[in-house]
Amino acid sequence: MDPITFSIIRHRLFRVVDEAVITLKHVSGSAITNEGHDLMVSLYRADGSLLMGGVGFLHHLTSAAEACKAIIRRFKGQINEGDVYLLNDPYTAALHTSDIYLVAPIHYEGKLVAWSACFVHVYDIGAMNPGGFSPDSQDIYTEGISSPGLKLVDRGEIRQDVLDTLLNMVRSPEMVTLDIRSMIACNNVAKDRMLALIRKYGYPTVDEACATLIEQSEKLLRARLSELPDGQWQSRQYMDVKGETAKVCLTMTKKADTLTFDFTGSSPQSKYALNCTKWASLGGLFAPLFPLLCYDITWNEGVIRPITMIAPEGTVVNCTRPAPVSVATVGAIQSVNNAACATIGKMLAASEKYRKEATAVWHANHFAVFMFGTNQRGGLAIGILTETFAGAGGARTFADGVDVGGEIPNPISRMANVETMESTFPLRYLFRRRLADSGGPGQYRGGLGMEIALTPHDAPDGGLHYVVSGKGAKYSMSEGLGGGYPGAPNRYVWVHNNESSDKRNIDPSFALSLDEMPGRTEDISWGVFPLMGKDTLYVAWNGGGGFGDPLERDPEQVRVDVDGRFVTREAARKVYGVVTDAKGIVDLAATKSLRQEMRAARIDRRAAE
Amino acid sequence: MNRPIAANLEIRATKDGDRIACRGCGHALAPAGQPWKRHAVLREMSMNGAGGKAYTGEREALLRQFGCPKCGALLDSEMALPGEPFLDDIVHA
Repeated sequence: MDPITFSIIRHRLFRVVDEAVITLKHVSGSAITNEGHDLMVSLYRADGSLLMGGVGFLHHLTSAAEACKAIIRRFKGQINEGDVYLLNDPYTAALHTSDIYLVAPIHYEGKLVAWSACFVHVYDIGAMNPGGFSPDSQDIYTEGISSPGLKLVDRGEIRQDVLDTLLNMVRSPEMVTLDIRSMIACNNVAKDRMLALIRKYGYPTVDEACATLIEQSEKLLRARLSELPDGQWQSRQYMDVKGETAKVCLTMTKKADTLTFDFTGSSPQSKYALNCTKWASLGGLFAPLFPLLCYDITWNEGVIRPITMIAPEGTVVNCTRPAPVSVATVGAIQSVNNAACATIGKMLAASEKYRKEATAVWHANHFAVFMFGTNQRGGLAIGILTETFAGAGGARTFADGVDVGGEIPNPISRMANVETMESTFPLRYLFRRRLADSGGPGQYRGGLGMEIALTPHDAPDGGLHYVVSGKGAKYSMSEGLGGGYPGAPNRYVWVHNNESSDKRNIDPSFALSLDEMPGRTEDISWGVFPLMGKDTLYVAWNGGGGFGDPLERDPEQVRVDVDGRFVTREAARKVYGVVTDAKGIVDLAATKSLRQEMRAARIDRRAAE
Repeated sequence: MNRPIAANLEIRATKDGDRIACRGCGHALAPAGQPWKRHAVLREMSMNGAGGKAYTGEREALLRQFGCPKCGALLDSEMALPGEPFLDDIVHA
């Protein structure tokens, strides 16, 4: 086909997805969709294979393909024009129950020609804990509604009996309705724009362009892999839950134009909800692969073909029913994503041509804190602290990671303004700022994470409660690259300001740091906790991994970091070997001498073996 | 010709064949295509406090640093619990 027509159709497919995303956001009313961008829209071929991966959480691109295929199998002979199907069972295709897929067939002149699919994290899914992340669940049965596929819209008409049944099992059904309608609207727009494209160029031409696009992606990725060195790279991630540690182990092998991700050695599935299913692991490894290896290649089925995944059954990365999975997206999926990011980064760093594309791991200790309770207007409020989407960038081979720089698996993630959160919940932020020393040290340091402190404000019930699915407090997870340190871990602290010795509430309003909080502190990470009276919730999150030897960092850059409170003076000396005088000016001679001593101290060690 | 494969590692052609070597001083660690960390010097410290005051995690978790035995350049780092095997990265020539 002529290259101009091909390029126009390819570009139009991108725009179809973009417009559908805009529609999704316009209709949805929840902060997690509009502020956090916890969403995804993509287009699929008639057989369910990925045609055009969209923006949003990239974990979902392959899982939604499997959702389309599951619907094709289940509803064979009953798929009609105008239908919309709902699927959210993690053991069929989804990541966890609260990320609902709505998939819709696109028919042209009576023939099924494509699918559109989208997801949002719905306001609530009826799990035992509000908001979808359900750390108290110890099986899938207590994680809310879980459908392996149902017809929600039949030939253009909503099946009200089905919708009402779903809404009857969730908290805040009016908000869940809005979530579902936003996805229906999104699919409608995707369908309309696809049909407009087909009408303009004709179905045979569009179909040929779509097939060519997939072939092109496969060819381009195989060519890129062929340019990279053969080898094997390993990564290991630890996840902590209530005193237990689960491990995700990855060996990535690159041979010729193929990549194999082998998770053999990972821990047996857990009784806690950090597990993930095999479809979720597949999505997890593709989330960094798309942007790191295919930044100039269309994300579709062609990219999937050269990749093989080995995920032993019964492990945290391929759990079996009825293991709980509601925390998977910040649990095992995130660890799969982190491990894949680390190994791909090391492979790219081993190539002269692609070294600049390599990165240390970004925002690996992803967490979820859902607030719930009565808001200042007397209504029910459930919602995530969107700060988790703010993330932290991993260092590159030529630059520092971006402070509060987002995350690899969602290129459009962001956090809400403090004012938005304070208007949504009866809360007041005591502070929200970058966290010094949180970025992994290196020649180029990891981007910083943040720290926040929240206290109830104008709360009819005296406060509210929150669900913490906070693995990542014990172990650093944002791996460094080429010697760079991993980023700092997370921290979640409940400050009990209601417990002064004279039984009077202590007011934390003017505390400028956790150390200045007047009450008793308790480190927490998993479960449901109160934020009542003068209590405070303190959350600190990880920085990105660093790159290279911290002793090779430009001393002047370390001074800038200290001046800007990105790095403490203590870390500047102890980790970076930089000596400053009383005015903060770098003493180059003393720095050189200290660094020589630190290098010598490294040699004065036993051999690794 | 020497080929960099990490921040401070390269594959260097020697009379004994291709070797994984320190980029800083050229010290050969292991044949290309084989694990090299056992030939480096190892320094282990608690992750707690390792990178500064924000490193508040588990004291038992270790930061392993693999250094060049000749010049002290930092070749790689990894986090591990005690007793875990090294992460073996292998690059073929």
